[in-house]
Amino acid sequence: MNLKDLLSPFFVWQRAFEKPYTSMRPTIDRPGAPAYRGFHINVAETCVGCGSCHTICQNHAIDMVPVEQFQGRPGDSGLRPRFDYGRCCWCGLCVDICTAASLRMSNEYAWITEDPTEFHFTAGVDDKAWQDNEHGYRRAEGYHLYPPKRIEMDMLSPEESVQSFDEVARGYNEEQAKKEADRCVECGICVATCPAHMDVPDYIHSIRDGDYEKGLQLMYRTNPFPATCGRICTRRCESVCPVGILGEPVAIRWLKRFIVDQVDAGEYTRILNNDAVVESGHRVAIIGAGPGGLSAAYYLRQYGHAVSVFEAQASAGGMLRYGVPSYRLPDADLDKDIEYIVSLGVEMNYNTRIGKDISFEQLLQDYDAVFLSTGLSVPSSMRIQGEDHPRVLSGLQVLADVANGRDPGIGRKVAVIGGGNVAMDASRVSRRLGGDVTILYRRRIADMPADTEEIHESQEEGCTIVPQAIPVEIVDAADSSQVTIKWGEAEMVQDPKGGRPRPVLQEDRMHEESYDCIISAIGQGSNLDYLSREIQDQLAIEWGKFSPGEYQHTGLARVFVGGDVANRTADAISAIEDGHHAARGINRFLNPDAYPNNNTSPDTTRSEGEQQ
Amino acid sequence: MNTVDEILDYAIDQEQQAADFYASLAKRAEKAGMKEILLEFAEEEKRHKERLLAVKSGDHELTPEQEVLDLKISDYLVEVDASDDISYQDALIVAMKRERAAYELYSDMAEKVPESNLRQVFVGLAKEEAKHKLFFESEYDERVLMDN
Amino acid sequence: MTQSTGHSASLDFTQPEPVDLSSGKYVKLWQGPQHPGITGNMSLELVLDGDTIIECKTHVGYLHRAFEKLMERRNYIQNFTVVCRIAVPEPTFNEYLYSAAVEELSGIEVPERAIWLRTMNLELMRLASFLMWIGGISGAFGKYTVPNWTLAYRDYVLDLFEEMTGARIYHMYIVPGGVRAGMPEGFEERARAIMDGADKLLDQIERVLFNNVVFKARSKGLGIITPDMVDPYGIVGPNARACGFARDLRKDEPYLAYDQLDFDIVTGNEPDAYGRAYCRLLETRQSINLIRQCLERTPTDGPFQADMPNVLHWKIPPGETYVKAECTRGEYGYYMVSDGSEYVRRVHVRGPSYTHAIAVMERLAVGTNIADIAGLMVSLHTYPPEIER
Repeated sequence: MNLKDLLSPFFVWQRAFEKPYTSMRPTIDRPGAPAYRGFHINVAETCVGCGSCHTICQNHAIDMVPVEQFQGRPGDSGLRPRFDYGRCCWCGLCVDICTAASLRMSNEYAWITEDPTEFHFTAGVDDKAWQDNEHGYRRAEGYHLYPPKRIEMDMLSPEESVQSFDEVARGYNEEQAKKEADRCVECGICVATCPAHMDVPDYIHSIRDGDYEKGLQLMYRTNPFPATCGRICTRRCESVCPVGILGEPVAIRWLKRFIVDQVDAGEYTRILNNDAVVESGHRVAIIGAGPGGLSAAYYLRQYGHAVSVFEAQASAGGMLRYGVPSYRLPDADLDKDIEYIVSLGVEMNYNTRIGKDISFEQLLQDYDAVFLSTGLSVPSSMRIQGEDHPRVLSGLQVLADVANGRDPGIGRKVAVIGGGNVAMDASRVSRRLGGDVTILYRRRIADMPADTEEIHESQEEGCTIVPQAIPVEIVDAADSSQVTIKWGEAEMVQDPKGGRPRPVLQEDRMHEESYDCIISAIGQGSNLDYLSREIQDQLAIEWGKFSPGEYQHTGLARVFVGGDVANRTADAISAIEDGHHAARGINRFLNPDAYPNNNTSPDTTRSEGEQQ
Repeated sequence: MNTVDEILDYAIDQEQQAADFYASLAKRAEKAGMKEILLEFAEEEKRHKERLLAVKSGDHELTPEQEVLDLKISDYLVEVDASDDISYQDALIVAMKRERAAYELYSDMAEKVPESNLRQVFVGLAKEEAKHKLFFESEYDERVLMDN
Repeated sequence: MTQSTGHSASLDFTQPEPVDLSSGKYVKLWQGPQHPGITGNMSLELVLDGDTIIECKTHVGYLHRAFEKLMERRNYIQNFTVVCRIAVPEPTFNEYLYSAAVEELSGIEVPERAIWLRTMNLELMRLASFLMWIGGISGAFGKYTVPNWTLAYRDYVLDLFEEMTGARIYHMYIVPGGVRAGMPEGFEERARAIMDGADKLLDQIERVLFNNVVFKARSKGLGIITPDMVDPYGIVGPNARACGFARDLRKDEPYLAYDQLDFDIVTGNEPDAYGRAYCRLLETRQSINLIRQCLERTPTDGPFQADMPNVLHWKIPPGETYVKAECTRGEYGYYMVSDGSEYVRRVHVRGPSYTHAIAVMERLAVGTNIADIAGLMVSLHTYPPEIER
């Protein structure tokens, strides 16, 4: 022992005069650090209720609960996270995974109440003092718990693609598909949005598992056209995919295609196991072998009903075959879907036009039920002077000619009028036939109803889009093999009553240009001439379209309708769902006993008023 | 037509004739759903008439100074026949063309009458017709040119 | 005053004859589990002859957490919120090792910036943990002033954690794939100020504790770990270094950025409670030095997270690995087995406390005085959750 060791400890007295470490009122004087993981804040308006926070929470501290004000919002589950602070451990994984970046935390950490149930609250909905707190933990820039970017699809280069009608999108390989499938957060908002309610998260899951047979089974439950939809679906699912809010949506369409591409058509019967069907003895006629009609045929066969399809054309597929060019949907893939449906024992009557070869009344007599899905086959008319010029072609005709292997005779210098998918298809087909294509569209590019990808690809392939161009007249050209179009520039004017801005022709800025042909593709309408006036009146037709009831039924008992001619969206997936739904309705009608609690059976004869 | 009332009576009669025209067309309409649409057009014309009656009785004033948006859609469309199997597109074209013709008639009159009071009435009526034209053209822009 | 334990000098593993408790000569005493000696939920079953301990048995089982089992039922990302709880005073080592094991099995390369941020975090953690320990060893010998200083100062370090990670104790900052955020603005400056203060504090502690005649008298010669015990008992960290073993994973098998940092292994030649404490004091200073180096060299831009798969259904290919790091108490290891599913097949957490608090403690305790048992226990620096994981 030395003296120093004895004295040294007395140094502690020196510190007696220092400022204390402690704070008198810690929760008032001491806010949490700016990035503190305190109480949760959810911007409920931005949140889409995907539930990823609920999924990742290892404490099961988050429940997704319905919140009145968000019910029925498109792309929104209507649910919002409810936090149980009896369980939360403030790890913040919920904030990290939040697809909408709506969830964060405040730097508040003191909460004193006499009512412990208060600690169970719906952030952003229940009024909490820290909702507007600017501090607190939020996900750092550049930090992700799932890959925000999608796996690029191999595409033919524009230089290559215009050389042939080969499919432009080359498809994912297994590694790419699995990586892309990995990005899904399995929220199911896509399922709610898909017109056919396809079980998207589960079939994507089957890709991750490498179980493509299961994926195929899942898809056929709601859609007998997966090879087709995997290529050309309008994919509303992707537009609502929450992964797309901060990054790019999961490539649902390409993943669907990937599954179908993995399974050989010869295996379908074994995998989908449709042998077990028990024949019901009922007979159903279907008019139109497009996606709506064949979808109905597929599901009616599942119920065991005998199905006869009547098709005016020489092949099945409707617009899918005659309207969608093969570089988007190769015939082989369309046939893969169709042939499997037909293989279930569907009787196909090609080149049979109802109203000409067989009367509609005859069908009503011969069959227990009739499903109409005759689509939109009549090109809309511009109703401008000179429209009947021989060098003015219809977009639908050009596409049908190409599909049938005929030369549509477009020449070299081509103008396409319109901004929808048919206009884009006609333009890109014209490019492949060697045309120089100018697209005239009356509004802005952003207003085009065509798929943005289609617009982009047509531009890449060298089509020139002239927006805000309104055609006013078509006249003979100096060269007799050509045609001249007069068009004027348009200004977009805001309608005082609201709605999208309207194009107004500027008569001082008119143009004139001659082309080898003008392809008009401004829309299409229905042809219901095969139905007599009396029958039309009973079927409830508005604006040239049917407005069917809950089970796709009409005012005429035993007649069901669907497809483009009966819905507003006019795309393949809606037609497929119409067909599926009509099959359910027809089955209810044919087997009322199978639905004992059914009081909305479509066979109940309804008065005119009810169907409005 | 020398007095304001005479002019208004003429205009009111024109609207009634238009309503009758659509009503008779509706009776003959063959295409499914067209009957209801044409009857709606007739109703629309009756509303125009009511408005002019209100002007005549002094309950409502014409607004000759008002600027009305001209979409110029009907100006470049072909004439179509009001046939029995008229389609929705053609029915709208007929309606737009009729309103346009009325607009041109009143505008023309306004230029020709020397009296400024009467001129104002014609201009006001022309503006009314321009509004009707805008109504049908907007409908055409929305329904027929929906996908375009 | 304190006799040398003697017992530890020769490595005799033969079990002593069981004492006859019915003879009335002995007293059986339970120390813990709620003992203020900051070693947590653990108890010692002591047999005393007078006030001399003649038998010591360590008992665990008070924690009821089963971390390893919890991990088997949570997916890979969820587990990172579990592991920090295995060592409350220094969760970061668990966070790092769990992440490192997952990264190794899934083949993820962590970016440079994250490597530095992780290194800095681990050293800040070492500093905070040692500050708490110094308070503990001081308190265990009845010196209650120093714990007040060090535990309060530790809170300044926790302030830094709060700023950087969003939490004071369970930081949950090092995540498989990288870290969750970069350094906040102005962090370097504040951290440097706190490091300067810590240096000053350690000077004061050296003066009032390590030069304290009472502390010296009670801790010197207590619980001597002889060099021949080190390998058979698996003694690691400062417990081994205090008896001259220059073993430190940061040097021997460098991980993270340690091969780029300038430091030497601290060793001592007094293998008793005092020597171990002094060794830890030096290592605390070393930590401060390393933190300063990290503050200087940690990149302020660039990615701090590797490209990650979707963690919601993250599957890791089948495999097994053992990753290790030098925590305050020596080699800390994670053995992990994956079976290709979304859940880990098995995780085994190898904490140094397992040997230090059971085999070593049971041996060193024999022959010591009942008054010194808390000091002895603390001098081994053990955390029960690592035993009962």
